[in-house]
Amino acid sequence: MTREEILDELKSVFAPYTTNKEMLANINDQTDLITDLKINSANLVDIIIDAEAKYNIEIDYDSADKMINVGSCVDVIAEKLKQK
Amino acid sequence: MPGIGNDVVALHAINVDRTIQYRFYSKIIVNSEKLIYDQSLASFLPFEHFVWLAWSIKESAYKCLQRYQHDLVFSPSNTLIKQVQLPESRYESTTEGIGFDGVSVCKAVVNSGHHQLFSRSIITKDYIFSVVNDTDVFSKTCWNIKKIGSNDREEQSMAVREMLLHKLHELYPADQFKIEKSLFGFPVLLKNSTEADFPVSFAHHDHYAGYAFVPDN
Repeated sequence: MTREEILDELKSVFAPYTTNKEMLANINDQTDLITDLKINSANLVDIIIDAEAKYNIEIDYDSADKMINVGSCVDVIAEKLKQK
Repeated sequence: MPGIGNDVVALHAINVDRTIQYRFYSKIIVNSEKLIYDQSLASFLPFEHFVWLAWSIKESAYKCLQRYQHDLVFSPSNTLIKQVQLPESRYESTTEGIGFDGVSVCKAVVNSGHHQLFSRSIITKDYIFSVVNDTDVFSKTCWNIKKIGSNDREEQSMAVREMLLHKLHELYPADQFKIEKSLFGFPVLLKNSTEADFPVSFAHHDHYAGYAFVPDN
Protein backbone atom coordinates (compact mmCIF):
# COMPACT_ATOMS: atom_id res chain seq x y z
CA MET A 1 0.00 0.00 0.00
CA THR A 2 1.17 3.52 -0.69
CA ARG A 3 1.31 6.20 2.00
CA GLU A 4 -1.53 8.00 0.24
CA GLU A 5 -3.72 4.91 0.38
CA ILE A 6 -3.01 4.39 4.08
CA LEU A 7 -3.69 8.06 4.81
CA ASP A 8 -7.00 7.88 3.00
CA GLU A 9 -8.04 4.69 4.80
CA LEU A 10 -7.11 6.14 8.17
CA LYS A 11 -10.00 8.56 7.84
CA SER A 12 -12.38 5.71 8.63
CA VAL A 13 -10.25 4.77 11.67
CA PHE A 14 -10.35 8.32 13.04
CA ALA A 15 -13.99 8.99 12.13
CA PRO A 16 -15.68 7.49 15.25
CA TYR A 17 -13.53 9.62 17.53
CA THR A 18 -13.70 13.06 15.94
CA THR A 19 -16.51 15.51 15.41
CA ASN A 20 -14.34 17.71 13.24
CA LYS A 21 -15.48 16.15 9.96
CA GLU A 22 -14.22 19.02 7.81
CA MET A 23 -10.70 18.64 9.17
CA LEU A 24 -10.98 14.86 8.83
CA ALA A 25 -11.79 15.16 5.13
CA ASN A 26 -8.65 17.22 4.60
CA ILE A 27 -6.09 15.50 6.82
CA ASN A 28 -2.43 15.53 5.86
CA ASP A 29 0.80 14.34 7.47
CA GLN A 30 0.91 17.33 9.79
CA THR A 31 -2.64 16.95 11.15
CA ASP A 32 -2.42 16.46 14.90
CA LEU A 33 -4.87 13.94 16.34
CA ILE A 34 -5.58 15.91 19.50
CA THR A 35 -5.21 19.58 18.61
CA ASP A 36 -6.53 19.42 15.02
CA LEU A 37 -8.94 16.49 14.93
CA LYS A 38 -10.01 17.23 18.54
CA ILE A 39 -9.77 13.57 19.44
CA ASN A 40 -9.83 13.04 23.20
CA SER A 41 -6.58 11.54 24.40
CA ALA A 42 -8.58 8.77 26.07
CA ASN A 43 -9.42 7.52 22.55
CA LEU A 44 -5.83 7.26 21.32
CA VAL A 45 -5.58 3.65 22.43
CA ASP A 46 -8.84 2.92 20.59
CA ILE A 47 -7.29 4.26 17.41
CA ILE A 48 -4.21 2.09 17.83
CA ILE A 49 -6.34 -1.01 18.46
CA ASP A 50 -8.59 -0.21 15.49
CA ALA A 51 -5.55 0.27 13.24
CA GLU A 52 -4.11 -3.04 14.45
CA ALA A 53 -7.36 -4.79 13.58
CA LYS A 54 -7.80 -3.07 10.23
CA TYR A 55 -4.31 -3.94 8.99
CA ASN A 56 -3.80 -7.14 10.99
CA ILE A 57 -0.62 -5.77 12.51
CA GLU A 58 0.74 -5.39 16.04
CA ILE A 59 1.78 -1.94 17.15
CA ASP A 60 4.32 -2.12 19.96
CA TYR A 61 4.78 0.40 22.79
CA ASP A 62 7.49 2.42 21.10
CA SER A 63 5.60 2.67 17.81
CA ALA A 64 2.35 3.57 19.58
CA ASP A 65 4.09 6.44 21.36
CA LYS A 66 4.92 7.97 17.98
CA MET A 67 1.33 8.04 16.71
CA ILE A 68 0.51 11.65 17.56
CA ASN A 69 -0.14 13.01 14.09
CA VAL A 70 -1.42 11.56 10.83
CA GLY A 71 2.01 11.33 9.25
CA SER A 72 3.46 9.33 12.13
CA CYS A 73 0.42 7.03 12.09
CA VAL A 74 0.95 6.39 8.38
CA ASP A 75 4.68 5.78 8.94
CA VAL A 76 4.07 3.27 11.74
CA ILE A 77 1.42 1.37 9.76
CA ALA A 78 3.53 1.34 6.57
CA GLU A 79 6.49 0.02 8.54
CA LYS A 80 4.45 -2.73 10.21
CA LEU A 81 2.92 -3.75 6.87
CA LYS A 82 6.39 -3.99 5.39
CA GLN A 83 7.43 -6.33 8.21
CA LYS A 84 4.54 -8.74 7.59
CA MET B 1 7.70 26.98 39.19
CA PRO B 2 6.14 23.79 40.56
CA GLY B 3 4.59 21.26 38.22
CA ILE B 4 1.03 20.05 38.19
CA GLY B 5 -1.14 18.00 35.87
CA ASN B 6 -4.65 16.62 36.01
CA ASP B 7 -6.95 14.35 34.05
CA VAL B 8 -10.50 13.10 34.14
CA VAL B 9 -12.02 9.92 32.73
CA ALA B 10 -15.80 9.71 32.44
CA LEU B 11 -16.49 6.09 33.32
CA HIS B 12 -19.76 5.79 31.41
CA ALA B 13 -17.86 6.76 28.25
CA ILE B 14 -15.33 3.94 28.44
CA ASN B 15 -15.74 0.66 26.62
CA VAL B 16 -15.55 -1.93 29.40
CA ASP B 17 -15.40 -4.98 27.11
CA ARG B 18 -12.54 -3.46 25.16
CA THR B 19 -10.68 -2.19 28.22
CA ILE B 20 -10.34 -5.64 29.79
CA GLN B 21 -8.88 -7.16 26.62
CA TYR B 22 -5.12 -7.70 26.86
CA ARG B 23 -4.60 -6.07 23.51
CA PHE B 24 -6.11 -2.84 24.87
CA TYR B 25 -4.98 -2.63 28.46
CA SER B 26 -1.42 -3.67 27.59
CA LYS B 27 -1.12 -0.34 25.77
CA ILE B 28 -1.77 1.45 29.06
CA ILE B 29 -0.37 -0.70 31.88
CA VAL B 30 2.72 -2.88 32.01
CA ASN B 31 3.21 -6.22 33.74
CA SER B 32 4.46 -4.72 37.02
CA GLU B 33 1.32 -2.59 37.26
CA LYS B 34 -0.92 -5.56 36.48
CA LEU B 35 0.86 -7.34 39.33
CA ILE B 36 0.09 -4.47 41.72
CA TYR B 37 -3.56 -4.80 40.73
CA ASP B 38 -3.66 -8.60 41.05
CA GLN B 39 -1.88 -8.67 44.41
CA SER B 40 -3.54 -5.87 46.29
CA LEU B 41 -6.33 -4.09 44.44
CA ALA B 42 -8.41 -6.73 42.68
CA SER B 43 -10.80 -7.20 45.59
CA PHE B 44 -11.60 -3.51 45.76
CA LEU B 45 -11.57 -2.12 42.25
CA PRO B 46 -12.92 -3.47 38.94
CA PHE B 47 -10.05 -4.07 36.55
CA GLU B 48 -11.40 -1.67 33.95
CA HIS B 49 -11.42 1.09 36.55
CA PHE B 50 -7.82 0.31 37.47
CA VAL B 51 -6.79 0.57 33.82
CA TRP B 52 -8.40 4.00 33.51
CA LEU B 53 -7.07 5.06 36.90
CA ALA B 54 -3.61 4.24 35.57
CA TRP B 55 -4.36 6.18 32.39
CA SER B 56 -5.51 9.26 34.30
CA ILE B 57 -2.43 9.20 36.54
CA LYS B 58 -0.09 8.76 33.58
CA GLU B 59 -1.78 11.47 31.52
CA SER B 60 -1.60 13.82 34.52
CA ALA B 61 2.08 13.01 34.96
CA TYR B 62 2.68 13.81 31.29
CA LYS B 63 0.93 17.17 31.65
CA CYS B 64 2.95 17.91 34.78
CA LEU B 65 6.25 17.30 32.99
CA GLN B 66 5.49 18.42 29.43
CA ARG B 67 5.30 22.05 30.51
CA TYR B 68 9.05 21.91 31.17
CA GLN B 69 10.01 19.29 28.55
CA HIS B 70 8.25 20.48 25.43
CA ASP B 71 9.40 17.54 23.33
CA LEU B 72 8.18 14.98 25.85
CA VAL B 73 6.07 12.24 24.25
CA PHE B 74 3.17 10.76 26.19
CA SER B 75 4.27 7.21 26.82
CA PRO B 76 2.09 5.13 29.15
CA SER B 77 4.56 2.25 29.02
CA ASN B 78 7.41 4.47 30.21
CA THR B 79 5.39 6.13 32.95
CA LEU B 80 5.36 3.58 35.72
CA ILE B 81 3.07 3.47 38.71
CA LYS B 82 5.05 2.11 41.64
CA GLN B 83 2.65 2.23 44.57
CA VAL B 84 -1.11 2.50 44.84
CA GLN B 85 -3.05 3.08 48.03
CA LEU B 86 -6.80 2.90 47.59
CA PRO B 87 -9.23 5.00 49.63
CA GLU B 88 -11.51 3.44 52.22
CA SER B 89 -14.59 4.63 50.35
CA ARG B 90 -15.14 4.76 46.63
CA TYR B 91 -18.18 6.95 46.81
CA GLU B 92 -16.64 10.36 47.34
CA SER B 93 -19.08 13.19 46.78
CA THR B 94 -16.71 16.13 47.24
CA THR B 95 -16.16 17.87 43.92
CA GLU B 96 -14.01 20.84 44.89
CA GLY B 97 -11.37 21.62 47.45
CA ILE B 98 -8.03 22.98 48.55
CA GLY B 99 -5.99 19.93 49.37
CA PHE B 100 -7.49 16.50 49.85
CA ASP B 101 -7.81 16.30 53.65
CA GLY B 102 -11.04 14.52 54.50
CA VAL B 103 -11.52 13.39 50.91
CA SER B 104 -11.37 9.70 50.01
CA VAL B 105 -8.52 9.58 47.53
CA CYS B 106 -6.34 6.99 45.91
CA LYS B 107 -2.67 7.84 46.45
CA ALA B 108 0.02 6.70 44.05
CA VAL B 109 3.69 7.17 43.28
CA VAL B 110 4.62 7.33 39.62
CA ASN B 111 7.99 7.45 37.88
CA SER B 112 8.59 9.02 34.50
CA GLY B 113 12.18 9.07 33.33
CA HIS B 114 14.23 10.23 36.32
CA HIS B 115 11.24 12.09 37.81
CA GLN B 116 9.28 10.79 40.75
CA LEU B 117 5.78 12.20 40.94
CA PHE B 118 2.84 11.81 43.30
CA SER B 119 -0.87 11.57 42.63
CA ARG B 120 -4.23 11.89 44.27
CA SER B 121 -7.25 10.41 42.50
CA ILE B 122 -10.93 10.56 43.28
CA ILE B 123 -12.76 7.49 42.03
CA THR B 124 -16.54 7.62 41.88
CA LYS B 125 -19.06 5.54 39.97
CA ASP B 126 -19.13 8.31 37.35
CA TYR B 127 -15.54 9.44 36.90
CA ILE B 128 -11.90 9.17 37.88
CA PHE B 129 -10.24 12.50 38.54
CA SER B 130 -6.48 12.60 39.09
CA VAL B 131 -4.02 15.30 40.06
CA VAL B 132 -0.26 14.76 39.84
CA ASN B 133 2.27 16.91 41.63
CA ASP B 134 6.05 16.89 41.81
CA THR B 135 5.89 16.72 45.62
CA ASP B 136 3.78 14.57 47.91
CA VAL B 137 2.32 17.70 49.50
CA PHE B 138 -1.15 18.53 48.16
CA SER B 139 -2.35 20.77 51.00
CA LYS B 140 -2.43 23.89 48.80
CA THR B 141 -3.68 22.23 45.63
CA CYS B 142 -6.91 23.80 44.39
CA TRP B 143 -9.04 21.42 42.37
CA ASN B 144 -12.52 21.15 41.00
CA ILE B 145 -14.40 18.53 39.00
CA LYS B 146 -17.79 19.31 37.57
CA LYS B 147 -20.44 17.75 35.36
CA ILE B 148 -21.21 20.06 32.48
CA GLY B 149 -24.16 20.10 30.14
CA SER B 150 -22.40 19.58 26.86
CA ASN B 151 -19.91 16.99 25.73
CA ASP B 152 -18.79 19.24 22.89
CA ARG B 153 -15.04 19.66 23.18
CA GLU B 154 -15.03 23.43 22.65
CA GLU B 155 -17.81 23.97 25.16
CA GLN B 156 -16.02 21.73 27.68
CA SER B 157 -12.88 23.76 27.20
CA MET B 158 -14.74 27.03 27.76
CA ALA B 159 -16.56 25.64 30.79
CA VAL B 160 -13.43 24.53 32.59
CA ARG B 161 -11.75 27.89 31.92
CA GLU B 162 -14.76 29.70 33.36
CA MET B 163 -14.60 27.43 36.43
CA LEU B 164 -10.98 28.35 36.97
CA LEU B 165 -11.47 32.07 36.41
CA HIS B 166 -14.34 32.04 38.90
CA LYS B 167 -12.10 30.40 41.52
CA LEU B 168 -9.23 32.78 40.83
CA HIS B 169 -11.57 35.74 41.25
CA GLU B 170 -12.49 34.38 44.69
CA LEU B 171 -8.86 33.96 45.68
CA TYR B 172 -7.47 37.13 44.09
CA PRO B 173 -10.34 39.63 43.82
CA ALA B 174 -8.00 42.52 43.02
CA ASP B 175 -6.28 40.81 40.10
CA GLN B 176 -7.19 40.26 36.47
CA PHE B 177 -6.63 36.85 34.94
CA LYS B 178 -6.53 35.59 31.40
CA ILE B 179 -5.86 32.10 30.09
CA GLU B 180 -3.89 31.54 26.92
CA LYS B 181 -2.51 28.44 25.25
CA SER B 182 1.21 27.92 24.75
CA LEU B 183 2.65 26.87 21.42
CA PHE B 184 3.13 23.45 22.98
CA GLY B 185 -0.51 23.04 23.97
CA PHE B 186 -0.51 23.63 27.72
CA PRO B 187 -2.49 26.46 29.33
CA VAL B 188 -0.70 29.61 30.39
CA LEU B 189 -2.24 31.78 33.08
CA LEU B 190 -1.70 35.53 32.85
CA LYS B 191 -2.08 37.45 36.10
CA ASN B 192 -2.38 41.17 35.40
CA SER B 193 -0.93 40.58 31.92
CA THR B 194 2.15 38.75 33.27
CA GLU B 195 2.57 34.98 33.35
CA ALA B 196 1.50 33.80 36.79
CA ASP B 197 4.02 32.10 39.07
CA PHE B 198 1.94 28.95 39.19
CA PRO B 199 0.86 26.57 36.44
CA VAL B 200 -2.71 25.45 35.89
CA SER B 201 -3.94 22.22 34.39
CA PHE B 202 -7.23 21.45 32.66
CA ALA B 203 -8.93 18.20 31.74
CA HIS B 204 -12.22 17.19 30.23
CA HIS B 205 -13.80 13.98 29.05
CA ASP B 206 -17.36 13.51 27.94
CA HIS B 207 -19.56 15.45 30.40
CA TYR B 208 -16.89 16.03 33.05
CA ALA B 209 -14.34 18.83 33.31
CA GLY B 210 -11.88 19.75 36.00
CA TYR B 211 -8.89 21.90 36.85
CA ALA B 212 -5.99 21.84 39.30
CA PHE B 213 -3.45 24.43 40.38
CA VAL B 214 -1.37 25.41 43.38
CA PRO B 215 -1.82 29.13 43.98
CA ASP B 216 1.05 31.37 44.98
CA ASN B 217 1.01 33.10 48.31
